[in-house]
Amino acid sequence: MSDRIVDGVRKHTPSILLFFDESPFSLLWLWLSTEKRKQIKSEKIGIILYIAMASPGGQGGGAVSTRGAGARRMKWALELSLGNARGRGDRQSNQGDVMYPIGYSDKPVPDTSIQETDKNLVEKRCWDVALGPLKQIPMNLFIMYMSGNTISIFPIMMVCMMAWRPIQALMSMSATFKLLENSNQQWLQGLVYSVGNLLGSALAIYKCQSMGLLPTHSSDWLAFIEPPQRMEIMGGGMVL
Amino acid sequence: MSKPTSLFVIFFSLFVMSEAVFEDQVGKFDWRQQYVGKTLFAHFDSHSQSSKKLFLATDKNIFASFNSRTGDLFWRHVDKVGPEGTIDILLLHGQDALMVVGGGRLLRSWDTNMGGLNWEAVLDTGSFQAACFVAIQDTVKHVAVLKKAVISLHYLTNGHQKWVENLPDSDTVQYQAVYSGGEEEVYVLGVVPNSHLTIIAYSLEDGEIIKQRSVEAPWLSSVESSCVVIGQGVLMCVDPATLALYTLPIQAEEAPQFNQILLQVTPVQPRLESVVFPPQLYVHAFLKKDDSVGYRVLVQTQDHALTFIQQPGRVVWTREEALADVVTMEMVDLPLTGTQAELEGEFGKKADGLFPMVLKRLSSQVILLQVWLAHLWKLFYEARQPHGQVKNEVTIETLSRDEFNLQKMMVMVTASGKLFGIDSKSGSILWKHYLENVQPNAVFKLIVQRTTAHFPHPPQCTLLIKDKDTGLASLHVFNPIFGRKSHIAPPALPRPILQSLLLPVIDQDYAKVLLLVDDQYKVTAFPSTKNVLQQLQEMASSIFFYLIRSDQGNLSGFRLRKDLSTERIWEVVLPTEVQKIVAVNGKRPNEHVHSQGRVMGDRSVLYKYLNPNLLAVVTESTDAHPERAFVGVFLVDGVTGRIIHEAVQRKARGPVHFVHSENWVVYEYWNTKSRRNEFSVLELFEGTELYNSTVFSSLDRPHLPQVLQQTYIFPSPITTMEATLTEKGITSRHLLVGLPSGAILSLPKMFLDPRRPEVVTEHSREENLIPYAPEMPIRTEWFINYNQTVARVKGIYTAPSGLESTCLVVAYGLDIYQTRVYPSKQFDVLKDDYDYVLISSVLLALFFATMISKRLAQVKLLNRAWR
Repeated sequence: MSDRIVDGVRKHTPSILLFFDESPFSLLWLWLSTEKRKQIKSEKIGIILYIAMASPGGQGGGAVSTRGAGARRMKWALELSLGNARGRGDRQSNQGDVMYPIGYSDKPVPDTSIQETDKNLVEKRCWDVALGPLKQIPMNLFIMYMSGNTISIFPIMMVCMMAWRPIQALMSMSATFKLLENSNQQWLQGLVYSVGNLLGSALAIYKCQSMGLLPTHSSDWLAFIEPPQRMEIMGGGMVL
Repeated sequence: MSKPTSLFVIFFSLFVMSEAVFEDQVGKFDWRQQYVGKTLFAHFDSHSQSSKKLFLATDKNIFASFNSRTGDLFWRHVDKVGPEGTIDILLLHGQDALMVVGGGRLLRSWDTNMGGLNWEAVLDTGSFQAACFVAIQDTVKHVAVLKKAVISLHYLTNGHQKWVENLPDSDTVQYQAVYSGGEEEVYVLGVVPNSHLTIIAYSLEDGEIIKQRSVEAPWLSSVESSCVVIGQGVLMCVDPATLALYTLPIQAEEAPQFNQILLQVTPVQPRLESVVFPPQLYVHAFLKKDDSVGYRVLVQTQDHALTFIQQPGRVVWTREEALADVVTMEMVDLPLTGTQAELEGEFGKKADGLFPMVLKRLSSQVILLQVWLAHLWKLFYEARQPHGQVKNEVTIETLSRDEFNLQKMMVMVTASGKLFGIDSKSGSILWKHYLENVQPNAVFKLIVQRTTAHFPHPPQCTLLIKDKDTGLASLHVFNPIFGRKSHIAPPALPRPILQSLLLPVIDQDYAKVLLLVDDQYKVTAFPSTKNVLQQLQEMASSIFFYLIRSDQGNLSGFRLRKDLSTERIWEVVLPTEVQKIVAVNGKRPNEHVHSQGRVMGDRSVLYKYLNPNLLAVVTESTDAHPERAFVGVFLVDGVTGRIIHEAVQRKARGPVHFVHSENWVVYEYWNTKSRRNEFSVLELFEGTELYNSTVFSSLDRPHLPQVLQQTYIFPSPITTMEATLTEKGITSRHLLVGLPSGAILSLPKMFLDPRRPEVVTEHSREENLIPYAPEMPIRTEWFINYNQTVARVKGIYTAPSGLESTCLVVAYGLDIYQTRVYPSKQFDVLKDDYDYVLISSVLLALFFATMISKRLAQVKLLNRAWR
């Protein structure tokens, strides 16, 4: 989706149409996310709106309408990017002033009403993120128990997954911290998150140990023992 | 419990199986050569003119038939070893071959066409003297057999005895010949040495004595060695002392008298020894189509070669029958090809300046190019030839090492003193060398002093030949690839040699040093250059050797002094009145052990006791009574003389066959109580801790190893035993067991493991231990020589190849059989029946399918874009 549409839609964002989004979860997400995320989400909203305004025959017609081949097959199309200086603005500017979408208001709508719950939701979400790895541990334990100690493809896959996920999570700690940066308990959450991951990897190591994959026994180093050097030369036999 | 166990065994054995050869692999990498030994009697089949059969009876108790055109074996009957099976005489008449076997024990008649037995008759006791066909007017119906005191007549058709008569005065007269002249009489010739000759005529009908005469012959001592019957009953004798020839008509009625013919003696005339044809020459004269006389000659030479010569002096074929009695052998790597050697030379030597190096590189590249072009030309030339005519003749010039070092030179030493160089791939004899003046009871020891790895120095083998009677030894130094005698002069050995010892010390020419110990325990080094002597002086304190005198029951160890004399440092005496030392075996010097321990079920390590100086000494009791007989196995450290372990098997008797390798000894004996053959295995472990993992010194080993032992029942007696050997020792070991049936069994060592548990546990299953079962199986798939039986296997030689999975095996005895074994299957090389065509065609097809579908996808995308 091009910037053009996004820019166009931003102006017309009506709060009521938020409910057209897919799920309440996304709604929550929308509110929690940063400015950029807001932009993208509102783009989605814009499209919904746009589709609602378009005729039932033109599924995704708005997007397609800009293309040369598609446009020809359309009976009619709406162009929402009004007053945009970029793109094909010049050609359509003469009609732009007349076409306002339904529910359009020139003044931005202030949304100060949900500020308090928003903050709580952010906290909650951040704790969810931080406690995620810890919550997975019982599940991992169950999987460990179920997969057994035999060395075959499935237990190995399980162990690899179990070992790899915490490591991956620990490696992308900075991204997680960015997620948590809105929270005021950021450091505590970060600590809990990393402890959870460490516990996960400890579990994976324990699993490896019980499966006998760790070189902890002397037999694992047997192949590296060189044959001892011979100090005496000896020979002989029966008297010929 | 038992059911899962047996299931486990079955499951496991399925894993172990599939060792056998597939039908299409027969003869692909194995070959067998059959021999018969030294000829005693030979007969040409004169039954029909076009017959090409030749019948031989040999000193190996073999009766064989050959194709006289090619020298190939038609059939062969191998009788018992020793005097029980000796062939006393072979007579041929028409389709029947008559044989007296076992010192006059049996009379046998064979059908010469098929080689089947017509009949067999047991003769009366008494040492055999002579036998002949008895004919009446040219139709042979009987055979007369003369023994020391008895003469008997048998029917030719069924072997039944017609009559038997005691010979008169058999305690004074030595009856030595029997003759029948085609009449109703059988003449027996006996001699009282240096007195007179006795001729007795028996009636053919009832065995009555018709005539009995005596002829004065004070010069005659033996009819057998100096007389022959020629023509129509004329006895011809020779007296070497007076150089006289005597003739006597046997059937003469009047008072018989020898006619003496004195021979003219001229300087060119050979010394007259016997009137009998030398037994090494068999002549067959026949009438050709144009009524001229043709002849064929079979010559048995001193080196046991059998040569067949046709009339114009053309050698039709030669058989090297000396190979029926191989004493010892070695396998030597073939040299690199000229180009490989050139490259080796380039990089093997020290750099001598930039410019010469560049020149050298260029010249070697040119040589490589030349070789490649020659190879291409050869391919082109061979492609033009019809398919059948292309022959891959192996000659000594084209001999070179193959990619995986699977083709080697087999150097074989035979009892007759003839050395052979045999190509292990094809079995063709590439060189032979006959050593003259080798006593029949000489002892040989073959030592490889320098392998082919040290280009440009030629490989070098040394054969130690010791005369049993005088004790004096001589060295024959030769190049094992070409068989030529080396120009290196071996040291003079004035004193009897007791033993030899090959040191890992090399001289400046990369030859390993051979020490020869004489009867004063002084040491002679060969080669003995200044460099070697200096090295020996430096190392003297760490060079030990042991000597075992079986007759005195004495084991003693010696240490080398700096002046090449020795000092005795230990002695073990096993009283000879109780037991005698039968055999001793150290470990093979070229054996590598990859794994230093065994992993237990709980993942700890049981370290092997890998003492390179360990000797396994086998003794047998002198008392042969089944209740008191025993077999002893002593594990002795050859440096310190310390007895590490002794195992005595009561109520057991030899012959003991054993293998000593890695940390185990496997031996086989006869259990006199249970009357069965048993295998026993001893394994030595150091425990879960290594005493010293970097160096092994027998002088610093305070702890005795843990010894485990287990015994199994083996369903067959065995003739010889050897273990497989691979380059790095990673591959699991098998035991190669030669059975009296001629089969060679490849028995996994896994079955001979003293840690096999009686009760299966988690740990033992983890270790892949097979539950203990007293019976050792013999599976026919384990026979590495499928139906190519090796008669009288005497020894099995194993050599590593360049591939870790592959071990080369040569079994020798009467026959020679060469093959390869893969104890852990071919894990490092594609199988020879790998389907290259299928795989590459599938790959190519997939490649093209990818290309085509990519193109199609592109077109489709483009079309969709335009829609």
